[in-house]
Parts: sequence; C-alpha cells; structure tokens
Amino acid sequence: MNPYWGAGFFEFFIVLCSRVGAWVMGHTSSLAADEIQIGVLSCVAIACGLVGPFLVLKKMAMFANSLSHTILLGIVLAYLLTSSLWGGGMFDLSTLLIGAALAALITAFLTEGFVRFFRLQEDASVGFVFTTLFALGIVLVTLYTKNAHLGVEAVMGNADALHISDLRAAFWIALLNFCTVGCFYRQFQISSFDGNFAKTIGISSGLFHFLLLFLSATVCIGSFRSVGVLLVLAFLVGPYLTARLFSDRLCILLFLSPLLGILASLIGVALSRHLLSVYDLPLSTGGIVVSIIGLFYVMAFFLSHLRYKLRFSLKKIFKLNNFT
Amino acid sequence: MSLFDFFTDPVLRGPTWGTLLMCIASSLMGVVLFFKKRILLGESLSHAAYPGVVMGVSFFSFFFPAHEEWIFLAVLGGAFISSLLGLKAIEWMEIKGKVHSDAALCFVLAVFFGIGTVGASAMQLVNPVWYSQIQMLLFGQAATMSDSHIFLYAVLSAFVACFILLVFRPLQAVLFDRDFAKSSGIPVLVLEKIVFWLLLFSLILGIRSVGVVLMAGMVVAPVIAARQLTDRLHFVFFLAACFGALSGLLGNILAVVGSSFLFPEEKLNLPTGPMIILVGASLALLSLLFAPKRGLAFRLFRIISFHFRCLKENILKALWKKRGISFSDLRKEHVVSSFFFRLALLRLSQEGWIEKRDEMFVLTPDGVQKAALVIRLHRLWELYLAKSLGFEGEKIHNNAEEMEHILTPDFEKRLTAFLLDPKEDPHNQPIPQKEREL
Repeated sequence: MNPYWGAGFFEFFIVLCSRVGAWVMGHTSSLAADEIQIGVLSCVAIACGLVGPFLVLKKMAMFANSLSHTILLGIVLAYLLTSSLWGGGMFDLSTLLIGAALAALITAFLTEGFVRFFRLQEDASVGFVFTTLFALGIVLVTLYTKNAHLGVEAVMGNADALHISDLRAAFWIALLNFCTVGCFYRQFQISSFDGNFAKTIGISSGLFHFLLLFLSATVCIGSFRSVGVLLVLAFLVGPYLTARLFSDRLCILLFLSPLLGILASLIGVALSRHLLSVYDLPLSTGGIVVSIIGLFYVMAFFLSHLRYKLRFSLKKIFKLNNFT
Repeated sequence: MSLFDFFTDPVLRGPTWGTLLMCIASSLMGVVLFFKKRILLGESLSHAAYPGVVMGVSFFSFFFPAHEEWIFLAVLGGAFISSLLGLKAIEWMEIKGKVHSDAALCFVLAVFFGIGTVGASAMQLVNPVWYSQIQMLLFGQAATMSDSHIFLYAVLSAFVACFILLVFRPLQAVLFDRDFAKSSGIPVLVLEKIVFWLLLFSLILGIRSVGVVLMAGMVVAPVIAARQLTDRLHFVFFLAACFGALSGLLGNILAVVGSSFLFPEEKLNLPTGPMIILVGASLALLSLLFAPKRGLAFRLFRIISFHFRCLKENILKALWKKRGISFSDLRKEHVVSSFFFRLALLRLSQEGWIEKRDEMFVLTPDGVQKAALVIRLHRLWELYLAKSLGFEGEKIHNNAEEMEHILTPDFEKRLTAFLLDPKEDPHNQPIPQKEREL
C-alpha cells in the first residue's frame, strides 16, 4: 500500500516529512514508488548539475544532445557484447557503463573525424553523425528485441515504472560524477575557461574533454530509464542557466544547479501525485519535472530582470540625490 | 510486388509519393540551413513540434471526434504553431537572456519535448487509439498515408520548391554575403522571415514520414551528399532534392519490404524514419568518399600519386648521379615501404627510363634526359633562390628538393630566361643543359 495514495500537493510533503522523520527515528519501512522516483530524479539532477555547467561553458550542449541519441546504439552494442561474454542483462550497471563509454568514444571520434577527414563543417558533422547512429540504434533494437516500443521508451523514459535497482544504478552514477568532478574540479574549470592556458600548465585537454564526454554519457545512461535521453538535456542545461542568472562564481553554480534540479524533481513528483489523486490524471512525471525546470528558468529570468531594474532605478535616485 | 507497384498500387502509392515529396521539401530547406551553419536549429525545431502535435490531436479529438481522416490537418497546424513558438523561444533566450545559441537550442528542445511528453501521457488515458498515432510520429510511420495526404504534401512541397526558384538570386546573396545583400537593397529581414516560415513548414511536413526525433538527419544528409559533388548553389539545391527524394523512396520501400521479410507473422513494422535516414546517410557517405575532387578517396589518390611521382623522380636523380646502383643500395636511400618502392621501379622500367644490367640499375638514354631535366630544375631553382631572393645555406637545397617536383616546363623556360641561361648552380655544379624535347 502506497502511503502517498490520494495525497494532494501539500499533503504529499507532509507525508514525506513524517516518513523521513520516522526513518531517522529508526522505523524502517520499504521505499514507496514516489520516494524511488524522487531518489532517482534527484540522483539524475545531482549528476547533471555537476556536469552540465562545464558542458554549457565549453559550448558543448548540442554535443550532449548528440550523445544522448547515440547512447541507444552504445547500449545495444554493449548488450550484444556483455550478453555473449558473461550473459549480462540489458540494464545491468556494467552493461550501461560500457555502453556509455562506447557511445562517447564512437560519437566523439566520428564527429571529429568527419570534420577533419571529410572537411565537413562542424554543425553538419554533429547533426549527421548522431541522426545516423540513432537510426542505426533504433533499427537494431527493433530487429533484436522485435519490439518497436523500446525506442519510444528510450526517448521518453518512464519515471512511473521505476524499481529499487534503478535507484541503485542512478546512485552509483551520481556518486561517480560527484567524485570525478570533485577530484578534477581545477582541471575542468581551467580547461573549460581557457583551453590554451590549460595546455601551457600541462593539463591534457584531450583527456579532460573525453572525461567530460564520458561523464555526460553516464548521465544519459543514468536517466535512460527514468526521464529518457532527451529530457535529461533539460536537467543538464536548465538548472545551470537558471542559476547563472543569479551568480557568476562557478563553485556556487555547481552547488546551485543540482539543488535547483532536486527542487524541481520534488515539486514535479508531488505535482504528479496531486494530479493523480485529485483529477485522476496519471501524467508522465519526467515530463512534468522538465516543464518545471523550464518554468524555473522563465521565472528566474523575470525575477533577475526585476532585480536589475530595481537596482538600476535605485542607483539613479541616489545619483540624483548626490547631484542636488 | 514489383517496384512499379509502389507507385501505382492504391495502398502502396500513398506512402511512396508522400515520403518522396516530403523529403524533397525538407532537403531543399536543409541546403539553406547548411549554408547558414545552423543545421542543429532543424533538430531543435522538429523536437519543438512535438507538443504541438499532441495538443493539435487532442483538440481535434475533442471537437471533431467523427472526422478521423482529417486529423493530419490538426497535426500540421499544431506542429507549426509549437515549432514557431520554439523558434521564438530560442531567439528570446539568445537575445534577451544572453545565452549562447548552443545552450538555448538544447534547452528549448528538451523543455518543449518535456511538455509534449506530459500531453502525450494525458492522451494515453483519454484516447489510447490516437495516443498510439502520436507515438508513431516520433519515428515516422508512412504506411497509413492516403491520397489526400499526397495532395496536401505535393502542394506544400511544390510551394517550397517554387519559392526557392523565384527568390534564388536574392537568397543566394543573403546566404553568402548578408551585408552585401543588405546594401544592394534586398529586403533581407523579410526574406529571412519567409525562409524560416518555410523551414518550419518543411520540418513539420517531414514529421509524418521521418518522425520528430530524426528530422535533423533528413535535413542534413542530402545536402552533405550534394555539397560534395558541386560548388554551384543551384546544383546543390537540385542534387539535394534528388538525394532527398531518393532516400525517401528507398527508405520507404526498404521499410515495407523489410517488415514483411523479417516479421512475416507478427504485426510489427520497421519504423520508416530510421530507414530513410539510413539510406540518406549511406548516400552521403558514398558521396563523401567517392565524390570527384572533394571526396576522400580522390584526395587520397591525388596525394599518393604525387608522392609516387616524387619517388620516381628521386630514383632517377640518384641513378643519374651514380650511374648504376644495386637494388639494396638504392633501397637504402629512400625511406618508403618496400611495396611502394618496387612498384616505382617497375613503373620506371615499364616507361623505359631505367633498365637492369647485371643486377645493377642504369638509366636508358631517355632516362638520362628525364633525370637531367629534374636535376636542371633543382639547380635552376637553387640558383634563383640564391641569386634573386638572397637565400643562403642548407635552406636552398631543401627547398629545391621539394620544388623540383612541382615546377612545370613553363617555369623552367621562364627561369632560364630570367637567369640568362646559367651554366652553374650556387654550389658550383654544372646545370645540365636541355638537349632535346622528351
């Protein structure tokens, strides 16, 4: 029995708080579906919030889009590999990580290679490579699983059918991202702001470029089941852009963006539950969270604009006072 | 089922003609995006169409539940409005929000798709039949198109093609030199606006056959293939349309034939979109590899044949200096693969420049002439560098080592005249005279 059954928006938070309180006091009970959702989405938000800022700073957001498409081919190939080697399942963590590495490698090499060897302009190369690989992935998935819906699910995700194993996978991926970014914060920072300077002080830009790609691929993998490979892009870019309106410092941004993502997931899950209990309308939770991230940006934009205007007019008044 | 049936059979002709015409429209607009370097805009806008498709279908199902055959109008209208909103949102973020276009494209894509997902999940409960129709549009499903679709798509594709034909000159100016176009009185802003509207048109037209997710591939693949083959804009447009039509046609046929071949019993179709994209991508790859002039294969061939000529001329030079060298000695002087080296020797003896006498390679009388010419070019160039350009030392020799393979007879004639038919090079070595034409 799900304790959140029939809860409205605010009731949801009350139930959540009381359950967390009970858990702290030592009353363990199995996680409810909504809590797994919150957990997975928060893990995705943390991982994305740590990687996303560097992607946007390096102007590689559309490259992340490209990765999020090619991940499907990566997973299919990794599955074919692991299932023949040691009988791994499609959604085992090892398969997923191998898939992420494969996808990052293939995408990076092909996109770079098309620019270098075929002298294609960069945007055309990105667009060409990911659509082709994605088409290949879809056809392979359809042929192999004889199931045309897996492709749809990969794109859309299904946050309403998550298991505890998904939470575990998402947690490990978030931890991996947290540790990597924590260890190499300086290197990432320098190479994303000034590549040439990074080179002169001996930071291998190629290595950290690929590491960033690999991390983004793992993020896409981690969200494969929950929000889908396309919606995760909003998690990558949205919270950073929102936080960017209020702060200029990278370390604060790296703290704020995961926080905003988590907030959006909390509100999204609660809203989804509210709509289900009150209007009997089961909506896609992943979609709702992403819409809320979009809404956050728009609200934050007007808020920061207001703040800017206020400061501007205050300055004007003070200047006038000084003058008289 | 012959190929001809795909065009005439009442069930099959709808998808065939439909995909063909849609792909023409989107590949034509792809050319415009390609030259504006904004291919990824196509990706974002086609994803931004998704919520519109969902809303359009749900409104339609609410107001006119009985007229299911006209639902594609709702799909087109909704998609148009929402991708227009997407375009506006991207512009707003870039200008007002001062976000880099790359991040703006990505964000708008994801958020619009998210909104669409929410709408689709609502649809799933309210009207499951039409929900599956919407999901089909993600990867394209051509199989259910009828004659009325063809008519609509034909008209719109013709409209796009006519527009490009009519404004070809101004469009060319805007694409390649926007400032020039502005200064010569072309209404650049109006033209760009119309082009963007048409872009939206062709993107949403393609959604039916290629699908929301893969539309960017349909935009980019034909123009890549076409761009490799020609440098002239009108040919690029024409070839892109041809490649687009071909990939639409073949992709659709492959999807139909493949589905009946692979899944004869199950009611499962290969999605049309990926097949079309794969056909287009293979065309583009073929063109990237084998296009004359720009293709990788031809560029590699040119580079290799140049190196081959250099090697042959270097061997001739070595033989000219020593008069008879054994294979192993000759091999030592040239650092190339053994196969390449033997091939060069073989070609040289076939062409009659060298011959083998008691295990030693020597030049034939013709070969002496040929080698002397190379040496002559080398020393002439050295003299020119030293005398006229004031170079000194090692540099002269190294530069001449490269230039001797590049200089043409015309250069030789002019250098001779310019240096007053010299007899010695800067290292006091004789410059072989030209005795007779080879």
